[in-house]
Amino acid sequence: MSFSQVMRHDFSEEMPRPGPLATLRERIRQIEQPRSHGVLPFGIAAIDRALPGGGLALGAVHEILGQGGDEEDGAAACGFIAGILARIRPGPVLWCLKRPDLYGPGLLARGLDPARLIVVSAPRDEDILWAVEEGLRAPGLIAVVGEIGRLPLVAGRRLQLAAEHSGVTAFLLRRWRNSEEAARERERPSAAVTRWRIAALPARDIDDPRLRHLIGQPRWRVELLRCRGGVPAEWIVEVADATGHVRLSPELADRPAAAQQFDTEPRLRHFG
Amino acid sequence: MTASGGRRLLAALNPAAAAAGLAPGMPLPDALSFVPGLVTLPADPAADAAALTRLAEWCNRYSPWTAPDDADGIKIEITGSAHLWGGENALVADISRRLSRQNIVHRIAVASTLGIAWALARHAAEAGAPALPAPQDERAALAPLPVEALRLDPDTVQGLRRVGLRHVGELYPMPRDALARRFGDVVARRLDQAFGDLPEPLSPLGETPSRRVRLSFAEPIADPADLARAIERLVEDLAARLAREEMGARRLALGFHRIDGRVEHIRLGTARPSRDPRHLAKLFAAKLDTVDPGLGIEDMILAVFAADPLPPEQLVSHFRDPSPQAGEDVRRTSGGQVGASSDIAPLLDRLGNRFGLDAISRMEPRQSHIPERASIFVPIDGKRSSDPSVIPGRRAAASPESMNTGLWKMDSGPAPMARPGMTSGEVAGNSQKPPRPVRLFRPPEPIEAQWVLPDDPPFRFTWRRRQHRVRHADGPERIAEEWWIEGDAAADPHDSGDHIRDYYRVEDEEGRRFWLYRAGLPGDPPPRWFVHGLFA
Repeated sequence: MSFSQVMRHDFSEEMPRPGPLATLRERIRQIEQPRSHGVLPFGIAAIDRALPGGGLALGAVHEILGQGGDEEDGAAACGFIAGILARIRPGPVLWCLKRPDLYGPGLLARGLDPARLIVVSAPRDEDILWAVEEGLRAPGLIAVVGEIGRLPLVAGRRLQLAAEHSGVTAFLLRRWRNSEEAARERERPSAAVTRWRIAALPARDIDDPRLRHLIGQPRWRVELLRCRGGVPAEWIVEVADATGHVRLSPELADRPAAAQQFDTEPRLRHFG
Repeated sequence: MTASGGRRLLAALNPAAAAAGLAPGMPLPDALSFVPGLVTLPADPAADAAALTRLAEWCNRYSPWTAPDDADGIKIEITGSAHLWGGENALVADISRRLSRQNIVHRIAVASTLGIAWALARHAAEAGAPALPAPQDERAALAPLPVEALRLDPDTVQGLRRVGLRHVGELYPMPRDALARRFGDVVARRLDQAFGDLPEPLSPLGETPSRRVRLSFAEPIADPADLARAIERLVEDLAARLAREEMGARRLALGFHRIDGRVEHIRLGTARPSRDPRHLAKLFAAKLDTVDPGLGIEDMILAVFAADPLPPEQLVSHFRDPSPQAGEDVRRTSGGQVGASSDIAPLLDRLGNRFGLDAISRMEPRQSHIPERASIFVPIDGKRSSDPSVIPGRRAAASPESMNTGLWKMDSGPAPMARPGMTSGEVAGNSQKPPRPVRLFRPPEPIEAQWVLPDDPPFRFTWRRRQHRVRHADGPERIAEEWWIEGDAAADPHDSGDHIRDYYRVEDEEGRRFWLYRAGLPGDPPPRWFVHGLFA
């Protein structure tokens, strides 16, 4: 009697059957690794390598910051987001902001059809957060953009949960009233899956010497400041075409060493 | 107590004062000589009128057609609603019971015309003894009443009395033309109105709804959970009715009738007709915290003020479960772009009811050279824009939630007006169009600019207290005011400088790219500079 029991015990240890413990393990795994809604590759190996899954996670919250004066105006960040929205898939996008300063022809040039946008103007951060969350819970939207100043950690977590649940992707374009607010908010922790900073860079000189005084293709420094399960990195890209794609900026004659690395490995940033 | 011509007069009395021999209109010194200890308060006709209006609104529970009548009455059209209360007697008893509970002294009369009801209520009914004559007895019931009961002005009443006509019945045998000669047509008209020979429409308080559903509670309720359940029942009743009529509600109001006689309202508008009970209930529930139930709600009335046809087949997406398993839902619906968008109507309503429907807009292109007119925000309020400058052949979005993805095209918009040889393909990217910013300031923001030659872009400018040094610049692209459009700024001689704008795209040392323009022609007077937008 007792012998057979020992045998059975041994057996179960070797080949665990789904019991309460296994169920619990599975639940923990689900909590730690939420349901995946797929990724959107940038189509640039150097960038996609830095992101877990090989692209921007869909059904998640992404934070996009500006740099310098653009922390207030969010122009470069807006162009970056428009390029991503252009490539996710067709369908309506909710864009929540405080004052409607989006400009259709400019978005179109980044590949985003302005007819896809539902623009909500609301005066306060709380209103924007509310609208973003409503959008993330609504079926039928492809993505939600919220231009937001103050973002409490708890609110960010709520958005992340809502995005994971519905599969709608959220972009929080951090836009601050002034440099004081920017300094206060910039370093706060957030629940977003990634945090990016997009800075406009001077365009490359145009090759034709007669046109050298003109402006070349827009160029950005794209910094992946934080990425859940990924590695912080930065790249220099320029707008490739009007389909929302970017390409790595070709190396410059006057910037040899640093620029060469971009095509191979994301440059690791050093912290602390 | 009221003041008139420097004298203070009694305006209204309580029963005790009336019993002591006082009467409205009596001067205060006289009244004080009758009753030395008289307590008076200043009259507040505005507050009285407001209270009466509130009471008339409360009476909505009996019928949608209620209105204050003079300074002291309320008229209610109960045709068609008395049977809901078990007959006129039961309805009157209910009104009386509830008014008494609010300590409102009242006299009630029911008659087939407004004129008779008015007369009976003021001259025949007593508190606790309503006047409800049978229709055939109304003429007789009116006869013994004083002539004032015909709603006549004091002069006419005096005139009738002088010739010995004191009671309404004494007027019955009089020839109408004799009455008219003597007193004008007012007496005859009032008689005709009383006996229904002359129709008298009741102008109701505010707008009358097209559909109403009512829920009454035996015990007043105040708990939000109870109210939410009541809302669900009401919208289900309404939805069933709308479904039969193949209509959807556009504008609704939910009235909460409190036991203290006040009425609280939640008003709603929807972006498109709806009769989805869950959606409507959600919209009301979201605003439930604005309702103060006071000591309790005894009635809730859900009224539809505007409705549009809504065929049954459009309803399918409304009933789709919006929250759980949404992941699958999104994947399934988002493939077809326009088909998926009917799912977002409930979202538009929720947003609209928090921010107002005009805070939600779509972007539409317009055929215009003026940058701020080429891309406009069109509010999603269900109205069609009638702007004639809509690009022909590409009609604006057909309905608030449909996406018209053909509206914007890369090749749309004006041809560049740049200087020859200025914009090369390399500069403008793959498009031949001059570049446009992603952010546009409405209105443009003035800057302080420094430049060398009149036709040059600035080499330095200050915007929002920040200085920018210009490293590169494109331009100018000249954009002239559309003088052919009526009501343009061209009509304003003081603003002549803005007719012509020369736009430059400039890049500062950091690499930020601005869209600047110079208003007016270079030279005299000194041009003004603006930043109009920012490039990505």
